[in-house]
Amino acid sequence: MVVKMVSLTIDGRAVAVPAGTLVVDAAKKAGIDIPVFCYHPKLDPVGMCRQCLVEIGRPLIDRATNQFILDADGKPKISFGPKLETACTTPVSEGMVVVTDSDKVVAARKDVLEFILTSHPLDCPICDKGGECPLQNLTMRYGPPVSRFLFDEKMHLAKHVPLGELIYLDRERCIQCGRCVRFQSELVDDPVIGFSQRGRALQIVTFSNPGFDSIWSGNTTDICPVGALTTADFRFGARPWEMNASASICNHCAVGCNLTYNVRREAKAGGKTVIKRVMPRQNEMVNEIWLCDKGRLAYHYMESDQRLEQPLVRKGGELVPAGWDEALNLVTEKLRSAGNRMVMLVGGRLSNEDLFNLGELTEAQGGQKLLYSYMGGGDLVSRFAPPKGSNLGELGAGSVVLVVACDLHQEAPLWWLRLKQAVKRGAKLIVASARPTRLDKFATHVVRYAYGEETRTVAAFLPVNVAGAPQVIQSAAKTLTEAEDLIVIYGSDGLYLEESTALARTCAELLLKTNHTGKVNSGLLAAWQNGNLQGGWELGFRTVPDLAERLEKAALVWVAAADPAGDDPALAKAVRRTGFLVVQELFLTETARMADVVFPVLVNAEREGSYTSGERRVQRFYPALPPKGIVPEARPDFAIPALVGEKLGIELEDHSAALVMEHIAAKFAAFAGINYQRLAEVAEQWPPVGGSDLYYGGTSYLNRQGLGVTLSDVLQGESLLNPAPIQTTQRQKPSADALPVYPIQLLYDRGTTILPSALLHERLVQPAVWVHPTTAAEHKLQSKARLIYEGEAVEVAVLLSEQTPPKVALLPRSVGLLGYWLEA
Amino acid sequence: MNELQREYPEEIERILAKYPPENKRSAVMPLLYLAQRRQGYIPPQAIQEIAQILELSTTEVASVAGFYSLFHEQPEGRWRIQVCTDLPCALRGADEFLKRLCEALGVAVGGTTADGLFTVEEVKCLAACHRAPVFQLQGDGEIKYYESQSIDTVLALVEELRCKAESKKEGA
Ligand code: SF4
Ligand code: SF4
Ligand code: FES
Ligand code: FES
Repeated sequence: MVVKMVSLTIDGRAVAVPAGTLVVDAAKKAGIDIPVFCYHPKLDPVGMCRQCLVEIGRPLIDRATNQFILDADGKPKISFGPKLETACTTPVSEGMVVVTDSDKVVAARKDVLEFILTSHPLDCPICDKGGECPLQNLTMRYGPPVSRFLFDEKMHLAKHVPLGELIYLDRERCIQCGRCVRFQSELVDDPVIGFSQRGRALQIVTFSNPGFDSIWSGNTTDICPVGALTTADFRFGARPWEMNASASICNHCAVGCNLTYNVRREAKAGGKTVIKRVMPRQNEMVNEIWLCDKGRLAYHYMESDQRLEQPLVRKGGELVPAGWDEALNLVTEKLRSAGNRMVMLVGGRLSNEDLFNLGELTEAQGGQKLLYSYMGGGDLVSRFAPPKGSNLGELGAGSVVLVVACDLHQEAPLWWLRLKQAVKRGAKLIVASARPTRLDKFATHVVRYAYGEETRTVAAFLPVNVAGAPQVIQSAAKTLTEAEDLIVIYGSDGLYLEESTALARTCAELLLKTNHTGKVNSGLLAAWQNGNLQGGWELGFRTVPDLAERLEKAALVWVAAADPAGDDPALAKAVRRTGFLVVQELFLTETARMADVVFPVLVNAEREGSYTSGERRVQRFYPALPPKGIVPEARPDFAIPALVGEKLGIELEDHSAALVMEHIAAKFAAFAGINYQRLAEVAEQWPPVGGSDLYYGGTSYLNRQGLGVTLSDVLQGESLLNPAPIQTTQRQKPSADALPVYPIQLLYDRGTTILPSALLHERLVQPAVWVHPTTAAEHKLQSKARLIYEGEAVEVAVLLSEQTPPKVALLPRSVGLLGYWLEA
Repeated sequence: MNELQREYPEEIERILAKYPPENKRSAVMPLLYLAQRRQGYIPPQAIQEIAQILELSTTEVASVAGFYSLFHEQPEGRWRIQVCTDLPCALRGADEFLKRLCEALGVAVGGTTADGLFTVEEVKCLAACHRAPVFQLQGDGEIKYYESQSIDTVLALVEELRCKAESKKEGA
């Protein structure tokens, strides 16, 4: 696509920008800040606040010849309008002359500001935004020392208005720019806050239940240009300039959002350094400048007083505190005798470095490297993922995205947001799902199947099968076959491991058979439940369908960052029966309770490391808290296998994560060339955010610590599709009236790293099965029912939900229950 | 089907028919008006019901209702006496008229009489400047204009309406 360039002059500087660029952006690109309040580069312009007024002149055109009229010097004659114009709503045009620093413009800025300040308290000394507030900065620069308005007429309005339990509104600080309201409706399609009343009585209101019911609410506090919106988490927490900023990565889902921990030492915490807030960090390839509320607010697990503080060893049936040496020696001895009858089970919140060392130790033993995930197919993602240079932010006309069995809004929120924006730019979206999701509204095709039909539905899109398929499938198949780029995202809605593994394979086959492999912006993505499951696959860990059996038979099971016993009663039984159980964990999980040895580990904010996102982007995180902070005795996960390895004569790096990464790069082709320096490389990004600019993008942090590096492709060709198709287990219906139960994934789950954040408790998923009211009536289900799993039944609460399809029951994951059938 | 739909099935259908289905949010104004007709104000439940009908969020409907000063979210008197006090009317004695009306009814501007029948309000130009004092009477789903008024004529009207309210009560 050829973009037409337009030349203009801004404050005497010649600038060339693509046609359609707004004056305010053209100026910023030339390094000139035009102050804004209502304008935000990620939102449509509205021209509400008038802070961006500038003088704009346009060349006079001779109507007869359509040529510029020239003055005596041969330069085009420029005609300036009698009034100033808003730079945020005016697109550039050829020959335009913009003046942003004349007396007239400065006077206008002063006037608008004085007007805004008639209704603003200027209580910066107690305002959370103070120090990073464009209104404060502008007032320092242009604000009148004395107001010509009567002080008594200043508006005084309520200052602590909860818009729900997460976000607070200070009414008198609001300058009515509408950024928050527009963000919620335009960008994230949750129009749950709005303006009510008008003029000076105008205020932000919410009528949703719970208040401000959106998983994106925290972002409004970033882009609010004043301290009107604050999170309950950070309100009155600290002044921005007192805090240090440390770069990190969210590991709560596959997206891998870049974030910043703001920390400071605090008397309140006994002189310890604590995390005061989590802020987004700009990465236009990943999360742009946003975070979902889980990523922003779930970090409190890190400072929970429930964290494991020292190694535990089972003595006389009880887990009792022990020294590191004792615990390490015991594990070493047990490993020696277990030999290759050892199983390493790892979870997806470990870093690449942790996984590597745990994997090396296992391989040296000849043990099994198993991945704890209810989704399969990561080996296929390794081969089929969109290659380097792909960017969901660039999808548009010609791109097609197929989303299968995935409630993306809940499973990978930022991907949802970016797909929604891609549709706005002209991309086509095909949604195949068993129940309505928040993507349907933006889809060109919605294919509804019954639970259990996932793989068959995708197979119907294959060129060999499509003839004779229902109309919507034929049309969707045509769309995706003809697509320039095709991305297929699969999730875990209603799927157990085997089913999702089978689904992944069919999705990969679809990409292969429609010639969408090895091309930028084409490929396979999986909405993993943790931030580094893809890293697990890359480093050679695998899911297995017969996990319980393998755990039970092993002489030694080593579990890191996973709680199989807490999630799954069958696994709990298996873990209980295993020979010797080693657990490295943050908390005393159900699995840890059963262990023979428990090692305490550090959270990511206490150490270094890297994760591999669902898009196979390796991203680095940095220590935010000083060593020996919250839990002085704990160690980084990768150190523990290294310490045991040392005793067994296996050489592993136990100290420097950077060195572990070098070992990874040496062993795994996909990681070749990756090191910590490269992971720290940055490039300039648009829009500019995070500075004290008057062109204000919000408080998302600038990315100074690394944009990450995408893994290389390792395999090509038909062999890509190994292994062969998967057979899935047929489950026996226990009684004629039993309802099949399908697992679903919700954002606010009850996982180990979410539960400790009290702020989120009201929004957490409840332990209950969801059933449609009609189905409940047909099956005579009361408020309690029997959930049947592996031949055993437990009682479970029944929640009536209109959103659930008929004739099935849905069971959110992470609530400590599992089941295949539901009976009255 | 919600309460509003049960009460005004045809009206709602007629209103919705005016807009293409994909733009049915545009029907928010007439539906709010419809809801207000019922009780003289728009209770929170009606806001929710309209949101349901139009597939909008409750907040979106509430912000529209909040924006317009002629939509009322609080129950007030059955009749609203809305007196224009803009400049031309003021020149013809509207202020004095309003003051005396309030005194006679024993309320402040914006207040409602103890029997819950009348609310007195001050409004902007009603486009009858040359016939001031002028007010509009809103209530029972209707708007009526009263021009060239005096305190006697308005009090006579108040009496008449009180009788109407009384007789209804007895009749019922
Ligand atoms: S709360 Fe903030 S973002 Fe929202 S309108 Fe007011 S000033 Fe703007
Ligand atoms: S979208 Fe995923 S990675 Fe991003 S903040 Fe939310 S949970 Fe974390
Ligand atoms: S009018 Fe341009 S920034 Fe508000
Ligand atoms: S000024 Fe009162 S009706 Fe016009």
